[in-house]
Amino acid sequence: MTAHEQIVEAVNLSKTYPDGKVQALKDISFSVAKGEFISIIGPSGCGKSTLIKILGDITEPSMGTVRVNGLNARQARLKGMFSFVFQNPVLLPWRRVIENVSLPLEILHNGTRDPNSLLRVFGLEGFENAYPAQLSGGMKQRVALARALTFNPKILLMDEPFGAVDELNRAALDLDLARIWQEIGVTVFFVTHSISEAVFLADRVFVLSARPARLKTVLNISFPRPRNKELQETEPFQEVVRCLRKELE
Amino acid sequence: MSAQGIGIRPVVVPAVALVVLLGVWQAAHRIFHFNSIVLPAPTEIVAAFVKNAGSILTETGLTMFESVMGFIIGCGAAYLLAIAFVHSRTVQQAVYPYAVALKSTPLIAIAPLLVLWFGNGIASKIVMSALVAFFPVLVNSVSGLTAVDAEALDLMKSYSATRRQVLLKIRIPNSLSYLFPALKIASSLAVVGAVIGEFTGSTRGIGHLINTSSYYLDTALVFSAIGSISLGGILFFGFVAWFEKRIVFWQKA
Repeated sequence: MTAHEQIVEAVNLSKTYPDGKVQALKDISFSVAKGEFISIIGPSGCGKSTLIKILGDITEPSMGTVRVNGLNARQARLKGMFSFVFQNPVLLPWRRVIENVSLPLEILHNGTRDPNSLLRVFGLEGFENAYPAQLSGGMKQRVALARALTFNPKILLMDEPFGAVDELNRAALDLDLARIWQEIGVTVFFVTHSISEAVFLADRVFVLSARPARLKTVLNISFPRPRNKELQETEPFQEVVRCLRKELE
Repeated sequence: MSAQGIGIRPVVVPAVALVVLLGVWQAAHRIFHFNSIVLPAPTEIVAAFVKNAGSILTETGLTMFESVMGFIIGCGAAYLLAIAFVHSRTVQQAVYPYAVALKSTPLIAIAPLLVLWFGNGIASKIVMSALVAFFPVLVNSVSGLTAVDAEALDLMKSYSATRRQVLLKIRIPNSLSYLFPALKIASSLAVVGAVIGEFTGSTRGIGHLINTSSYYLDTALVFSAIGSISLGGILFFGFVAWFEKRIVFWQKA
């Protein structure tokens, strides 16, 4: 297990929606190393979510292939290697917090993490028996994160997970995510609208072009870890953000 | 006023309104010498109830039994068919348009046929109840089983959940908040169905009692029978509503 062991290999991914001539993705290829944190940015509506869904085999590409650890995307999904976090926490309102977090374990039987200890990691101790309606937006998203990690996925696919969370909670969630990612070494694809969030979290930032989305730029982010929020105020960080903003325009 | 005062207001105000209405009715009856065959006084209705309490309650009980049986069969069948729809597009496409069309036809009109087919015992009443309860529950159940958050389905797909798991863990719980409003409507309709069945052809039940008392121009008894079955219907509805609050607890009021 070297640091550069490839885990995800995407080759010429294209997606055209069957109903029309709308082409969402065009010839996207990349490879990602195990444990890497990839942020994906791009103009809104460009197909970032589609890309994430194709990687996790929720949607099929029109052309191209995804290989994960030598398996195709479907085999990898069946093995429980992918885990999604959406902008909406998608908690089941009739289940308590602990029951929501345990949901994947009732379906996939390759769980290795204790839901209770995950709740502790995300600061949800004491809310195990609460119902989602009793939680704030930030807490709901923490529950969704804990649920995404219970079954020990290899690849975490996050689609603007903190987009609906207020600024302060978002900063806290970013820090939690960075800490947990380092702890467990999961590979992350993180779609976001926020350039500075993308830079703050990522090893590499993928910049997609407007529709049909192509992989326009890949930028290495080499700020040392663990990163803290003061980093965002520094000139080198701002420089990277400015550079990416120019790429997006 | 204290919080306690606010708490009892919703009970006190309608109760006072009812007492006032009954008082006006009673007074008007005495002052204008209403014909009791047309409109009996409240006291006459109460007297008729007390005198015939045994048979009124027995017949109400029978009609409520028919209603509840019809309700259970009709709603159960509707929910199972809704699940079949979710699992087979072909079945849904073949049957659903007719179900929606039948929902808005006066099924009551087929009561004479049901009596012809199932006799004038309780079977025809149970079938009538089941039929009128069936359609609203079917339509709402299909909505509830299919109106599932697309991201929840994506999530289940990412766990590689089977259709059965999606049904049990997402679709069925999701359907409950759609199902119960239909069950409340069905509980009232089921009673209507049973009474109509009894009107059409029967030897028992509250519908039969209402029919025969009206032949004998015993209007006070008609009124007390109507009051009794109304109370039965309200209790049935209340029971379903009480159940809804306990089962669909996550639904905001």
